[in-house]
Amino acid sequence: MSKSLNEKPNAEPLPVGATAGVILNGRYLPPPEDKDGKMWVRTSALIHVDAEDLYKMWRDVESAPLWQEQIESVTRTGEATSHWVMRSKSKDKDKDDTIEWDSEILKDEPGRRIAWRSTGGDSDNAGEVVFEPSPGGRATMVTVLQEFRMGKLASAWETLVGRNPKQAVIENLRHFKALAETGEIPRTQGQPHGPRGMIAGIKKSMYDEETTTPPGLDRKAS
Amino acid sequence: MKALCWMGSSKVEVHNVSDPTILNPHDAILKITRTAICGSDLHLYDGFIPTMEEGDILGHEFMGIVEEIGKNVTNLQRGDRVVVPFTIACGNCEFCKKKIWSACDNTNPNAHLMEAAYGYSGSGLFGYSHMMGGYAGGQAQYVRVPFANIGPLKIESDLPDEKVLFLSDIFPTGYMAAENAQIQENDTVAVWGCGPVGQFAIASAFMLGAARVIAIDRLPERLEMARSIGAITVDYSEEDVSVLTALKDLTGGIGPDSCIDAVGLEAHSAQLQGIYDKVKTAIMLETDRPSVLRQAIQSVRKGGTVSIPGVYGGLLDKVPFGAAFGKGITMKMGQTNMHNYMKPLLERIEKGQIDPSYIISHRITLDQAPEMYKVWRDKKQSVTKIVIDPWAA
Repeated sequence: MSKSLNEKPNAEPLPVGATAGVILNGRYLPPPEDKDGKMWVRTSALIHVDAEDLYKMWRDVESAPLWQEQIESVTRTGEATSHWVMRSKSKDKDKDDTIEWDSEILKDEPGRRIAWRSTGGDSDNAGEVVFEPSPGGRATMVTVLQEFRMGKLASAWETLVGRNPKQAVIENLRHFKALAETGEIPRTQGQPHGPRGMIAGIKKSMYDEETTTPPGLDRKAS
Repeated sequence: MKALCWMGSSKVEVHNVSDPTILNPHDAILKITRTAICGSDLHLYDGFIPTMEEGDILGHEFMGIVEEIGKNVTNLQRGDRVVVPFTIACGNCEFCKKKIWSACDNTNPNAHLMEAAYGYSGSGLFGYSHMMGGYAGGQAQYVRVPFANIGPLKIESDLPDEKVLFLSDIFPTGYMAAENAQIQENDTVAVWGCGPVGQFAIASAFMLGAARVIAIDRLPERLEMARSIGAITVDYSEEDVSVLTALKDLTGGIGPDSCIDAVGLEAHSAQLQGIYDKVKTAIMLETDRPSVLRQAIQSVRKGGTVSIPGVYGGLLDKVPFGAAFGKGITMKMGQTNMHNYMKPLLERIEKGQIDPSYIISHRITLDQAPEMYKVWRDKKQSVTKIVIDPWAA
């Protein structure tokens, strides 16, 4: 896995003022708009788990394949760096290909915030996750802001699974929440069904059901 | 195993499919002992609910014996007899904690589909379209039950299946409809639709203190059944009957304190507005036929409550909102929060306060189910409720 990754320039850190936060000086901040080839997605979830535990779960990057779609493996390469491998579609229709990139954590505030960016490889992405108590403190509000250029990462999502890459970020947070709250990710893949008709493939793709649901893990039993 | 599959509009077939397996740590596999066809299955049969796929296994009212459990199911054992709620809830999210179980955030693997169509997602449901989760249903010999630590209700007494089966949906649904109707002691309650949910809404309205229940339908066997539990009936199909006038006549001119719409999106109406809705839905300017909802809003007394257990799926036309505002009515509705009602209603059955099996008219095998879907849809053979024994030959 020690391929040298030099195909693309490093992603820039997220600009100041465009963080995952949604409130600045009492005013609501809308998410950044897509421009200059950059795509942004901001999504949030209300999770009934302590911020500290959620932070630990997110920070344990090697467990990301358990809840992030299409991520094959994540290997730590240093205190704040890691190497990511994602499944992608190959020109050869019968088998999947992979794309790979390195990532580094730029800001690491335990129980509160993690910001990262890719530093080389097939993907040009940067992101941030913020964990904060919801108003009144009855749960944790988790906000993710992710930015990518329409490079191989984004097109991998799109071509392989029919997921718009923005939707993939939303789905990943949904999986994260389900896993954190229940110890599993809801799934139907593998259940029985009768004969699918002529247009089943089209419907499956239309319903965005082709992505393999990540395996999840059992945090409550461990 | 054998399973009843949706194969297109007005087309259901029994197929041999693979047995379900444990896919998640909180799953259980049930061997189904009894299952039923629900009125809302007819909305699927008629093609009114989008995101169905050929081969989908139908059925959301079922009970059975636990055959296998996932490694984190701690409350059930192989051999337990359970009734399963049709809504799937995780027990840990914001909504489950608020006991709005049917709004659970963590059980619909296809939440994105529902968000795209409606802007939100509810919980996953068994056998009720991909948008609602795409879970295989229980009109089959076996079923996988996710989040089995939260939903299934153990039946520890020797009550026969038929007396407890309807705890899976229609009895709690009828009961919640009556609860949503905010009935006060000695109120008058009108119930549109005397199918199974309407029947249980009538029975529950009496349990909650209603002094008079007025039941509205057109099918003689249903009206007869409603009268048998104490309701006064109005047959809207009789030529000289106006429902609005009848409800005034029966309430000293003020209208019922509460109105329950146990019909929903496929209401039939003999009047001009019925034809209007049929045409508009046919040309897709409207998705639902809300003639019952219109009547309920028009007839409820000032400051009264309209409760809606009947299913609606989309856009409604010509709903008299001015009357709703002017009278200051309350409207309550939604999928049943099953988990709140199953245990208390089981207790009522155990105490002999109600025997829900009184609504059953047909007992059939799985192989007879495709024919019986059609019979029920066409309102033939005096069908009130069909129960399936999936192992009977």
